[in-house]
Amino acid sequence: METINAKIANIRENMMQELDSAGSSESLQALRVRYLGKRGELTQMLRSLGNLPPEKRPAAGQALNELRQEIEAALEARSLLIARAEDEAREATDFVDVTLPPRGRGWGGFHPVVQTMNEIIDIFVGMGFSVAYGPEIEDDFHNFEALNIPPHHPARDMQDTFYLDNGRLLRTHTSPVEVRAMLRWGAPLRIIVPGKVYRRDSDQTHSPMFHQLEGLLIDEDVSLADLKGCLNTFVGAIFGRPLDSRFRASYFPFTEPSLEMDVECFACSGRNPSCRICKGTGWLEILGCGMTHPNVLRYGGIDPDRYNGFAWGMGPDRVAMLKYGLTDLRVLFEGHGSFLTGGGY
Amino acid sequence: MRISWKWLNEFCKIPLSPEEAAERLTVTGCEVESIERPCSTLKGLIVGKVEKLQVHPERSDLFVAEVELGGPRVQCVTAAQNLREGDTVPYGAPGSVIADGTVLGKRTFDSVVSVGMMLSAEEIGLPGIADEFGILRLPAGLTAGEDLIKALNLDDCILEISITPNRGDLLSLIGLARECYGVIEGSTLEKQELKPPRIGDPGSVSWDGLTLADPGCPLYGLSFAPSVQIRPSPMGTRIRLAFSGIRSINNIVDATNYIMLVTGQPLHAFDLDRLPAREITVRGAREGERFRTLDGQDHTLAEGDLLITSGGIPVALAGVMGGENSEITAETKSVAFESAFFEPLRVSRTARRLGMGTEASYRFSRGVDPSRVLPTLSCLFEYLLKDGAHQVEENVRVVSSRSWEKRRIPLTRRKMHRVLLWDDLEQASKILQKLDLKEISATGEKRVFEIPTSRADLSIEEDLIEEVGRLRGYESVPSRIPPLLHGTGRVGDEVEAHRRIRVAAMSRGFLEIVTYSFINPKWVEWLRIPETDPRSRGFRLTNPISQDQSLMRTTLLPGLLQALQTNLRSGWKDPIRLFEVGRVFLPGEEGEDHRESLRMAGVSWNGKERRILHEPYLKDDVLSLKADVLALCGSRGQIPDFSAGSEPFGHAGQTAELRLEGKPCGYLTSIKPGILRELEIPGPVFAFELDIESLLPEKGFRFGQVVRYPAVYRDISLIAPLSRPAASVEEDLRKLGGSLLRELVLFDVYQGAGIPEGTRSLAFSLAYGDPGRTLRDEEVDAIHEQLRRNLSEKGYILR
Repeated sequence: METINAKIANIRENMMQELDSAGSSESLQALRVRYLGKRGELTQMLRSLGNLPPEKRPAAGQALNELRQEIEAALEARSLLIARAEDEAREATDFVDVTLPPRGRGWGGFHPVVQTMNEIIDIFVGMGFSVAYGPEIEDDFHNFEALNIPPHHPARDMQDTFYLDNGRLLRTHTSPVEVRAMLRWGAPLRIIVPGKVYRRDSDQTHSPMFHQLEGLLIDEDVSLADLKGCLNTFVGAIFGRPLDSRFRASYFPFTEPSLEMDVECFACSGRNPSCRICKGTGWLEILGCGMTHPNVLRYGGIDPDRYNGFAWGMGPDRVAMLKYGLTDLRVLFEGHGSFLTGGGY
Repeated sequence: MRISWKWLNEFCKIPLSPEEAAERLTVTGCEVESIERPCSTLKGLIVGKVEKLQVHPERSDLFVAEVELGGPRVQCVTAAQNLREGDTVPYGAPGSVIADGTVLGKRTFDSVVSVGMMLSAEEIGLPGIADEFGILRLPAGLTAGEDLIKALNLDDCILEISITPNRGDLLSLIGLARECYGVIEGSTLEKQELKPPRIGDPGSVSWDGLTLADPGCPLYGLSFAPSVQIRPSPMGTRIRLAFSGIRSINNIVDATNYIMLVTGQPLHAFDLDRLPAREITVRGAREGERFRTLDGQDHTLAEGDLLITSGGIPVALAGVMGGENSEITAETKSVAFESAFFEPLRVSRTARRLGMGTEASYRFSRGVDPSRVLPTLSCLFEYLLKDGAHQVEENVRVVSSRSWEKRRIPLTRRKMHRVLLWDDLEQASKILQKLDLKEISATGEKRVFEIPTSRADLSIEEDLIEEVGRLRGYESVPSRIPPLLHGTGRVGDEVEAHRRIRVAAMSRGFLEIVTYSFINPKWVEWLRIPETDPRSRGFRLTNPISQDQSLMRTTLLPGLLQALQTNLRSGWKDPIRLFEVGRVFLPGEEGEDHRESLRMAGVSWNGKERRILHEPYLKDDVLSLKADVLALCGSRGQIPDFSAGSEPFGHAGQTAELRLEGKPCGYLTSIKPGILRELEIPGPVFAFELDIESLLPEKGFRFGQVVRYPAVYRDISLIAPLSRPAASVEEDLRKLGGSLLRELVLFDVYQGAGIPEGTRSLAFSLAYGDPGRTLRDEEVDAIHEQLRRNLSEKGYILR
């Protein structure tokens, strides 16, 4: 018995020593074979149990089995350690310079006006306006007459018009959709009309094609107060903070009264007399608006005694230019990758 | 319109600075665009008197003047030829500053010292007031040494005001003064009343008659100056005209312009002796009639233009410009002055058609005040009397076919409150009366006002509400979010589809662009679109800005290719993918006027020969773009079918037609190499275009069954004719594979050695499975064997 116990102790001691010095999964495997393999030391001792007297066998067997479990557990623990060390070594050599350019495609990029248009739409949808559309090729009736602009009226000088060979014209504003929408849905009505419009004009601040967003609210007892509230809310939302506004008297044939809305220059708030954005005035012209002219309501089949409303038209191009600090309107429509990606792609 | 601040203050005393007044005018509807001080750079200029004038001792082209400055005398050298001894002139001593900012000093001209300078009109910043070449000779009555700015009233400022088209009444000092009185607290009105002229006295000029033969002229007045002396206008007039942006011509023409600025009524002066007859008839022009205006331009007239004729010969284009044949010249001895009312739309139409925006047509188009037509002639009479040297007759000959009633408009408490949330009728009435509206009846709920004829823009109650609102100030109206929401706002399918597709495209590396809806018509040719294709029949602009932008696009492709060209020309080398969402404009079908269709199109260009780190992964081809198109449609829950198609601009072997539920919805193609060569785009370029309307009905996204039992896999490899699309082979496999065939993936396509000519080998991996259990191998073998037999029967060669 003592001999067996001594042998076990001996194996345990040797084994643990060798285990400590095993540095790779190969040497670990060799150890496993040496002790636990078919001809391993422990295996042979187990086989030789039969040579012991029967009364000594159980105790010896138990001691050997304990040793076996002990060795297996030690091997397992050691193997985990070695695997981790080996992984770490491999990861250290399997190096990727993460500052290399990516493979595959990145984000493309948005157009500032389309993006701004979408933001504007969401703000007004939040106030209960629904999106309506109308044709870009219009007729004289919807673009002018139904908006209270008779032929040859000087107000037509305000909007130099493109005409088409089929006798139609390119709408000069999104306002024609007002009458179309009134005829289609009647009152009460809350719509916004985003879209392209066209005027025969081209310079740094005028493009022959640009965008507009028209709004129209018709209901019973609508006041200028509603118009102001709606548009002030919009301005606060689009520029990210409430801005001062002022409403100036103006003239549009299809609204009465007619107003223009200026907002406080978000760059200088009127404090910089040489501000490039507001040219020192402290105000930015942002949109035209007013109470819908009763004639326009009548053209839309709505009784102006019962209903009234307000409308506005704004330039998302201008809003986008203000938002993104752009100065030349025309480059918006030339598709320059260097411009749209800010130089990189 | 340019308005002299000092002149305006003669009609309305304004207790504010020009800047403060401008602010107030701007807020109430007359936008003051700028305030100029035309003579603000001038410093230290005074009046000098030329006491002695001699030719320069060494140079015969120069003069030496002795200039008296109210005490001291200085010596000045000048090249001007127009001076005489005794003339008074603007003078700048050394240290003073002239209009262009030059500081004057002493100079020596060939040994003669010149101290300071005698100045021309240009040098004091008013080139328009010169009546001759050389030094500006000042009017008599100025004292040597006097401050020049004060003496000539040059310490003025000019308001540049933009007048809205409805406010013709503001195109005059009288009208603007009334407006200032209305909008500026504390201002006082001066000189508003105009004197009616004497009518009916035959006078000394024999005259045969006035005839109105066209309703476009309902009122026409004529007065005469039987004897005039043509010469430059007085200095004061020249300066005021220059400040108002009007060129000085001579004393007669200037007089008509000067008075027009005061009353807003354009006047015209005819040389009485050059009128073909002592008669005037206003009639409509005949189509094609020719007429030469006094600027020397020939015009072809149209029906609807109004003509002033004399003895049957046109002498003026009514309300626009007079004729060369009767204009005032240096020889003119006697003059007839016209003051009339012409229908605004008639003048507007003529002026717009002929592109003749004159001071007169501008005012007539916006409507002059009929009540001022004749009194303006008496203003002119007074002015000419003051000018002297003329014999003028105040009597006016008049013919009229219409009288003007003053309109009456009610203002009710209810409507005013509805718009302004304010209902003080008493206050409102006070506001309106400042604008010369007369209250003619008043109850608790309603007031009625009589409108002066100058305010043609006021015709309904809303107009009065606007007057009250703008004069009270819109800042006094509260601000509230509109109550009474009737439902939720809806973005709608079109915006929703556009947004999803656009975000999907941007996520896949596409750059969003917006291009013009009008293109160069040559694109039809460049893209080889045949006449039979509706896309060749786009609408043309009749008045484009340039030919490059004269055809409404029928496809988005030109804009994208042009953007690509623009980028390439500016040296872009990297791969680029562009997309645009926008409308195209097609001829209408079945009685439609036209069709507008919302499209999404994209192009991809693989970049120029350039070493790129991961190049193979970035190269697009038709199939990589197919993945993009599927992703875009997938964002709407739609999966289009692809089949071999053809586009006039598409590579014959690399074009797909896209269909949704059997209806064509777009194309995917590689642009024809020949077209790219012509466009100077080094190819290839892959392109697609989708009809967004067909993607509007969003397919409900559906989810599949959960698979809990693994599939069993078998491969199949078969040979099919090249002409047979892979999709149709797949369809056969699906049809013949039985109900347990869960999925199939094409993993290899091969043609070449070992495969008969005209055929190719396709290899598929098939997954068989049952949602309820694991299939046994023998079962799958049997099904798969059956599929192979079925395929053989169908004519496929199995490998």
